[in-house]
Amino acid sequence: MDPSEVEFLAEKEVVKIIPNFSLDKIYLIGGDLGPFNPGLPVDVPVWLALNLKQRQKCRIVPPEWMDVEKLEEIRELERKEDTFTPVPSPYYMELTKLLLNHASDNIPKADEIRTLVKDIWDTRIAKLRLSADSFISQQEAHAKLDNLTLMEINTTRSFLLDTLNCMYKLRSNLQPGSKYISDVV
Amino acid sequence: MFITDIRKEFYDVVVNQRVALLVSSEIDALCACKILQALFHCDQVQYTLVPVTGWQDLGTAFLEHKEQFRCFVLINCGANVDLLETLQPEEDSIFFICDTHRPVDVVNVYNDTQVKLMIKQDDDLGVPSYDDIFRDEEEEGGNDSGNESDGGSEPSGKRSLITLTFETFHFRREILFDYEQYEYHGTSAAMVIFELAWVLTKDTKDMLWWAIIGLTDQLVHDKITHMKYVTDIATLQRHVSRHNHRNEDEDNSLSIDCMRISFEYDLRLALYQHWSLFESICNSSYTSCNFKLWSMHGQKKLQEFLADMGLPLKQVKQKFNSMDMSVKENLREVIEESSNKYGMKDIRIQTFGVHFGFKNHFLASDVVHATAALLESTEKDDSPGDNFIKALDCLSRSNLERLHGGIDLAKKKLMAIQQTVASCICTNLILSQGPFLYCYLLEGTPDVKLFSKPMALTLLCKYLLKAFVRSTRNKRCKLLPLIIAAPMDVEKRTVIVLGIPPESETSDKKNFFGRAFEKAAESTSSRTLHDHFDTSSKSNVIVIVYIFHKRADMTHYRWALFSIIELKMEDRTKFLDALITLLS
Repeated sequence: MDPSEVEFLAEKEVVKIIPNFSLDKIYLIGGDLGPFNPGLPVDVPVWLALNLKQRQKCRIVPPEWMDVEKLEEIRELERKEDTFTPVPSPYYMELTKLLLNHASDNIPKADEIRTLVKDIWDTRIAKLRLSADSFISQQEAHAKLDNLTLMEINTTRSFLLDTLNCMYKLRSNLQPGSKYISDVV
Repeated sequence: MFITDIRKEFYDVVVNQRVALLVSSEIDALCACKILQALFHCDQVQYTLVPVTGWQDLGTAFLEHKEQFRCFVLINCGANVDLLETLQPEEDSIFFICDTHRPVDVVNVYNDTQVKLMIKQDDDLGVPSYDDIFRDEEEEGGNDSGNESDGGSEPSGKRSLITLTFETFHFRREILFDYEQYEYHGTSAAMVIFELAWVLTKDTKDMLWWAIIGLTDQLVHDKITHMKYVTDIATLQRHVSRHNHRNEDEDNSLSIDCMRISFEYDLRLALYQHWSLFESICNSSYTSCNFKLWSMHGQKKLQEFLADMGLPLKQVKQKFNSMDMSVKENLREVIEESSNKYGMKDIRIQTFGVHFGFKNHFLASDVVHATAALLESTEKDDSPGDNFIKALDCLSRSNLERLHGGIDLAKKKLMAIQQTVASCICTNLILSQGPFLYCYLLEGTPDVKLFSKPMALTLLCKYLLKAFVRSTRNKRCKLLPLIIAAPMDVEKRTVIVLGIPPESETSDKKNFFGRAFEKAAESTSSRTLHDHFDTSSKSNVIVIVYIFHKRADMTHYRWALFSIIELKMEDRTKFLDALITLLS
């Protein structure tokens, strides 16, 4: 999977906006949206929020978890635990990037939030690498990881799977038996 | 006709249609175009952008697009000529013109249906009233018989009719001539379009920055008076404070990546923050002319100046950003104090600067120089359309490499101008031809390709005149206007001729050369092309009578702007001779 595909899936998440135009309810395939009244908050998917923001038709309200203190707590928790802690949102990384790139004037302390989210991401990826490393070196057959997000899984997916395939081929060649050698070649 | 409510009469009409945007090749027009494009993107208006460099381009573009479009928006072109006569459009085509060129042609002003002018009426226009210029024959007959209150018999009635007609004819022509003889510039087009954005409450800091650049372009290329510049700066300053106030409301400050515009009372040194201070002083026309840097004496004076301020030469010659903080701290005040001693009272000027990210800081004049250099770049394989698009790109925040490329080109251009001026003064290339000064750049002159473009040639011409006025001892020569000619296209053997008014303290930036050039060209039947928008290409035959009638006024020094034409090389000498006879 491509990271841009993951970002595309993340754009379905719902975010609150405050429009400055009025429009009746609109009926889309994915669901109903609206009605839009100036000054009244309404929930829309991120893709629509970004489009309206770029056309200067709304103001984006940052999600509840996008707050300096909450993110600091999460970061501290993440650093203490050995396993993965629950994330503020299954698409926290993509949402941070999208909202901070397009709507940083609506989000207070945008720079600090960016740093905090990056710290959380770095810690989690480090844990993932450690876990994958121990999985391979101890030649486990099965592992279970909780609380991983799609983006994190996506970063290791292709590499991990290819590695495991290669290792399987190499391991199966250690068996004395010439019929397997021809498989590898 | 003039538009009073720009939102209802222009934007609401245009938003539901496909629009053709015809934009002239100058920085102010580019900025206005950017703002308008941003507004169109917000409302998803379909438009086609066509850059035009002169009247011929405008005509061709119009012919190409007149089938598909009903609405044409013209930016910085088209107001000073009878548009309907030149373009011959269909009945249902509408033209929205946002142009700084004045005087606005009277036919454009009084046309009620097809030509809409986005110009504020209090903008110092002085348009003659309708009744003074246009009169029907029946009305005339009616008026005349009405004026015959002394009760005349038929024969005397007829005689008065004839005399009255002749007088009104003269009167009308005189009014028109007075109105159209001087060309000048009005409020920046970018500012007009920014006001539209403000009325729609869709104005952003990006748009405000573009409006500032449009205004600064008018100052850098000497199109408006200092008074007008200061007034317009005050208007923009109100917008800047409004935007800044909005951000500092919260106690949480904004992300460093957001754009911050600030009012600066900064030095009049071109590109000094992207260059070394020494280079900038050498290549800015203000300082260079005051110190007379083409002479040894001038160089010594410059060294004294730097020593007076206590700036070590080593510091001053390195890149501005690498100068010591202790030196940079009060630089502006220190320079201002010292400049006052050396006779440069206006070294500081009101302007705006922008910050975004950690290392990007630009003054408005920096961006103007960079964009002008890109727009008129003479590299090979650069068509005018490509240059236009590159210059347009460098105005966006996301294309910083282009902007830096433009700054490098601008530095080369300024250095070329400085060297050309120095060589012209030292080799006495400026000759007095009687009523004006004349300079011709030979084909072999270094960097002469740069001066085949109007904006670069204008900068050179103004700089040259200032330098000449400082270096000559002849009192009479100091009051003469300057005409400069440079080779334009070597293959086609054309020459570009430009005239600027004399140096004066109180110039009101009005120009006469357009008419003079036309007449000289006609009288010698030189093959000329009055293509550039700054020269009106009206060929009103009656004007000849008035040129000779008003000979006294021709030597009246109320000129300002500049006028440009193209000429065939062979016709140059006879054109000049005709011009001399005309103006003496």
